Amino acid sequence: MTPAHEAFGATAQGQAAAGGPAAPASRPLAAGRAGDLGSSWRWSPRAQFRRWWQARLPRSDTWQLGQRNIYILPTKAGVTFAMTLAVMLLAAINYQLNLGYALTFLLTGAALVSMHLTHGNLRGLTLHLRPVAPNFVGQPAQLEVVLTNAGRERYGLMLLFEDRARFGKASAWCDADAGGQSRATLSFVAQHRGWNDVPTLVLATVFPLGLFRAWTIWRPAVRVLAWPLPEDPAPALPSSASRSEDERDARRGAGSELDGVRPWRRGDTMRQVAWKKVARSGELVSRETAGTAARELWLDWSETPGADVEARLSRLAAWVLSADREGMDLGLRLPQATLPLGQGDAHRVAALGALAEFG
Amino acid sequence: MATTAAAPRPAAENPLAALRERLAHLPRDARDTLFQLAVIAWTIAPHLLHLPLWCGPMAAVLLLWRAQLALRAGALPSRWTVTALLVLASALTLWGERTLLGKEAGITLLVVLMSLKTLELRARRDALVVFFLGFFLVLTQFLYSQSLGTGLWLLLAVWGLLTALVLAHMPVGRPRLLRAGGIAARTALLGVPLMLVLFVLFPRIGPLWGLPQDAAGRTGLSGSMRLGGVATLAEDESIAFRIRFLGPVPGPEQLYFRGPVLSTFDGRDWTRLVPNFPVESRPRLNLRLKGSPLPYEVTLEPSRLNLLPLLELTPDTADAAPRVDGWLFTLRSDGQWQTDRAINERIRLQASAWLDHAHGPTEPVLGLRDLVALPPNANPRTLAWAAALRQRPDLRTADAHALSAAVLQHIRTAGYVYTMEPGSYSGDAIDDFWFDRKLGFCEHFASAYVVAMRAMDVPSRVVTGYQGADEKAQDGYWVVRQRNAHAWAEYWQPGTGWVRVDPTASVAPDRVRLGRSLRSSPGLVDGAINTFNPALAAQLRQLWEGANNRWNQWVLNFARGQQLDLLKKLGFESPTWQDLAVALILLLCGAALAGAGWALWDRRRQDPWQRLQQRTAALLQALGVPVQQHHAPRSRAALVRQRLGPAGEGLALQLEWLDVQRYGAQGTRFAPRAWWPGFKAAARGLARIADGPR
Repeated sequence: MTPAHEAFGATAQGQAAAGGPAAPASRPLAAGRAGDLGSSWRWSPRAQFRRWWQARLPRSDTWQLGQRNIYILPTKAGVTFAMTLAVMLLAAINYQLNLGYALTFLLTGAALVSMHLTHGNLRGLTLHLRPVAPNFVGQPAQLEVVLTNAGRERYGLMLLFEDRARFGKASAWCDADAGGQSRATLSFVAQHRGWNDVPTLVLATVFPLGLFRAWTIWRPAVRVLAWPLPEDPAPALPSSASRSEDERDARRGAGSELDGVRPWRRGDTMRQVAWKKVARSGELVSRETAGTAARELWLDWSETPGADVEARLSRLAAWVLSADREGMDLGLRLPQATLPLGQGDAHRVAALGALAEFG
Repeated sequence: MATTAAAPRPAAENPLAALRERLAHLPRDARDTLFQLAVIAWTIAPHLLHLPLWCGPMAAVLLLWRAQLALRAGALPSRWTVTALLVLASALTLWGERTLLGKEAGITLLVVLMSLKTLELRARRDALVVFFLGFFLVLTQFLYSQSLGTGLWLLLAVWGLLTALVLAHMPVGRPRLLRAGGIAARTALLGVPLMLVLFVLFPRIGPLWGLPQDAAGRTGLSGSMRLGGVATLAEDESIAFRIRFLGPVPGPEQLYFRGPVLSTFDGRDWTRLVPNFPVESRPRLNLRLKGSPLPYEVTLEPSRLNLLPLLELTPDTADAAPRVDGWLFTLRSDGQWQTDRAINERIRLQASAWLDHAHGPTEPVLGLRDLVALPPNANPRTLAWAAALRQRPDLRTADAHALSAAVLQHIRTAGYVYTMEPGSYSGDAIDDFWFDRKLGFCEHFASAYVVAMRAMDVPSRVVTGYQGADEKAQDGYWVVRQRNAHAWAEYWQPGTGWVRVDPTASVAPDRVRLGRSLRSSPGLVDGAINTFNPALAAQLRQLWEGANNRWNQWVLNFARGQQLDLLKKLGFESPTWQDLAVALILLLCGAALAGAGWALWDRRRQDPWQRLQQRTAALLQALGVPVQQHHAPRSRAALVRQRLGPAGEGLALQLEWLDVQRYGAQGTRFAPRAWWPGFKAAARGLARIADGPR
C-alpha cells in the first residue's frame, strides 16, 4: 500500500493545535456531553470555530451522506496540480501549441470531473455504528462503522477521528462494494470510567485523483461504557468468601451425570464447555466439576479501603475478575445498587457495568 | 507417465507464460511501481530523438535499476547517490548545451529528473511529483511535433499517467490495472465537454514574450543556399503547407512557389542581393499580368521564417493579395512575399495568382549589373567554358534566350545525372560539378546554370522555393512538403523581363513534371507492406494522410481567425477576443448554474419506494388510519381493516397486493406508477363516501 497519509495530514496538523493533548487528564470524572467537545474552554479562534461547528452537528445513530454534510476542498497536491496546469497553459500560449492547449484543457476537465467524483465517492453512503462492546478504561474499544452503499462501488474511503490529537492518528481504509455493506474498524481508547461519548468521526476520501479531499464529520449518538481498570497486581479476594453446599446442590440440578458432563444449559460459560467431547459427539455439553459448584462471594463497597473512589472501584473490578475466574457465585453491594448472586459471562459484564456506572 | 509429463511445469515449457504468471502474482507495490515505470518510459521515449545521446541510456539504466529494485523488493539508493547522479546529469547537460536554461537543456534535465525521481518513489507524494512532471514532459514533446501520431502516442501516455494516479488512490487490496484504467478514462472522458469548450473559446493570444531563439530553424528554406544544403531537406517528408484551388487546378509543372531570391554569389554561398546601386536605378518588379486570376487558399505550417512561399506570381493588388488580420504582408521587388514577423503559428490565407505573367524591367537598368557579378577567382574553368561558348559562331550575337537554350542543351547532353546523394563538393564546387563529377540535384544545376549565364554577361539569379505537390489531393487539399523544396533560375531578357528556367527539368523532367523527388528509403514496416501489397500500402498511406489533413485543418489549424469566424456564425457582429472571453465565462457560469440546479434537485430525490410509502401513508392518515412511515403495506392493510371495516376492504386488498409485489417470493418487477393511481382513486372515493352522509 501507498497510503495517502500526506493528503490527510493537513487537517491532522490543524487539529493538533486546537485539541491540546493535556486536556483529558484535567477533566472532571463525571464529564458530561459538553465536556466531550475537548478543551473548548480554552479560548482560541480555532477552538471556538470547532465548538460552533460541532454544536450545529446533531448526534445521530445513522449518518446519511448528502449535499449538506459533505465538505470538499483541494488538497496540497491539487494546488500543485493547478500550478502545473497554469505553467502548461503559459507554455501553450507562448509557443502557440494547439495540442498544448488541448492537453491542458483535457487535464483541467479531468481535474474538475475528479472533484465531482470525489464528492460522489461519499454522496449516498449511509453510516452506522455497530454496538460497541464495553472495555476497561485505557484499553481500546473497537468502533465498527458499517457503510451501506446503495450506489456504485467506491474506493479509498478513510475513517479517522476528527480530533486526532486526542484520540490518536489511527485510520482505517476501506472500499465499499456496489449495493453492499462494508466495515471499517477504528480502535478508540475510552478516557474515563463510565459512559463515554464516541468521538467525532471523519470519513474522508481523495479518490480518484487525489486533487480534492471530500470528508464528512459525524457525531455518532452511540455511547461506550468503560469499566474501571482492575487493580494490578490483583489483590487477594476478601475473606468473606464462603462455601454454600446447599447452593451447589441446588445449582447442580437433578439430572446430573456420573462422568461430570451434562448437556449445555443457558448460562454455562465457554470455559465450562467440554470442547473435546463436543468435538467427538457433536453435541454441546458442559463439564460439571467442583468449580461449577460455586462458592459464594459478596463484594461490598464498604470492604474497600481508602477514600479514592476510582481506586476502590479498581479493587472491586479486580475482585470481580478473580471471582469470575475461580467460578464463584458473585454478588455486589454498592451504595446505590445491589447485584444479586450470579455467575457467568453475562453476570460478570453486569457487575463490571454496575461498577462503571458508579457515582 | 504421460500424465506426469503433462503436469504443470510452465516455467520450463513456456517462458512467456511463466513471465505472465510471475507478473500476475507480483506484490501490489511491485506491480504498481513497474506500471509507473512503464508509463514513464513511454512518456520519455519520443523525447530521446531530440536529446543528447547520453540521456537515453541514462534514463533507461535508471528505470531498469528501479524496476529491478521493485522486483527484488530491494532498498532504494541513498539520497547521496541520487544527488550525485543529478549533479552528473547537470554537468553533462551543461557540457553539451552550454546552458541549463534553454529548451533542449531544460527538457534533458526534466527527463533525467523524472527518471531519478523514480529512485525516490517511497511515499505517494513522490509519485504525485512524478505524474505532474510527466504531464509537463508530454507538453514539451509538442514543441517538436504535433502530428496525429504524436498526439495519439501522448494521449496514451496521459492515460497511463492518470491510471497510475488513480491506482495510487486505491489503497485497499489489489485493484486490477484495467479497473484503474477504466476509472481514469472515465474521468478524462467526462471532462471532454469542458475541454472542448475551453479549446474552442479560450482566446488565442499571441506569445506573451519573445520566442526564445531555439524555437527557430524548423524549415530548410532560408535566406541563403550552399551546395548540399537542400540535400537534407529533400529527405524531409514534413509538410510545408497545403494548398486548395478555388478554381481550376493547374498542372504540377506550373506549381512554383516563390521563396527567397538569391542573387549574390561569393563562390560558395548564394545569398540575397545587397544592392550597390541607388534605389532609382535598381530593377523594379514591374509586374504585368495576363490571362485570368487563379484563386487559391494556403494553410501554412509554422516555418519560423518571415516569408510566404506563394504561387508564382501573386500580385499585391487589393483583390489578389493575401490578407490575414494582425499580419503585414509585402511583396518585395524580387517577387517574393515578405511577412512582418516570423510565422510561428499556422496561417490560413486566400490569394490569387496569375500563372501567365511577366515581371522585371523591360529596358536595361544600372542595377542589373549586380546580377552579373561573379567572384573573380572562383571556378575559372566554368568561366572559361562560358567564354568559349559565347565565342561560338552561332552564339556570338545571340540574345539571352539563345544563350540559355545553349546552356540547357549542354546540361541535357553532357551526361549530368540527377541524384539525391551527389556527395560533397568543395573548393571550386561549380567547376567540380560542371566538368568532373556531374552529379547533383536542383541546387547544383541552378547555381551552375546561373554562373554560366553570368559568365556570358546575362543577368540571372537563383530562385528558391517549393515546386510541385503530392500526386493526389486529399479533400481538395494539395500537400506541399519540405521535400518539394526546389531551386530554379531566372535570366533577364531585354524587352521581356525575367524569364524562368528550370535547369533541373533538363535532366530529370519527372522532378518537375510530377513534382516528385526520388523517394528516400521507406521505413521497415512501410517497406514490408510495400513489397507485400503496394496497393494496400498506397491506400493506407492515403488514409493516414487524410486523417492527418483533417487533424491539421481542425485541430492544429485552429487559431484566432477560426474562433472569431465561429463567433460570427453565432451572431456576433464584429467579434473581438474579449467577446470570446465573455462567451467562455458565460458558458462556464451557465454550466455551473446547471450543476447547482441538479444538486438542488438531487437533494430532493428519493427512493421511489420510500416516496410511495410516504404518499400512501399521507392518504391513509387523511382517512383517519393511524399508519406510520415505517409500517409495511401488510400492517397498513391490517390497520385499514381495523379502522374502516368492510368499507376499507378494497384498499386493504390493494395494500396487500402491493406487499406481495414488493416482498413476495414471486414478486414481479414493481411498478409504483401503475399501482398508485388506482389506489389514489379508491382512497379518494372512500373519503367522498365518508364525507357524504355528514
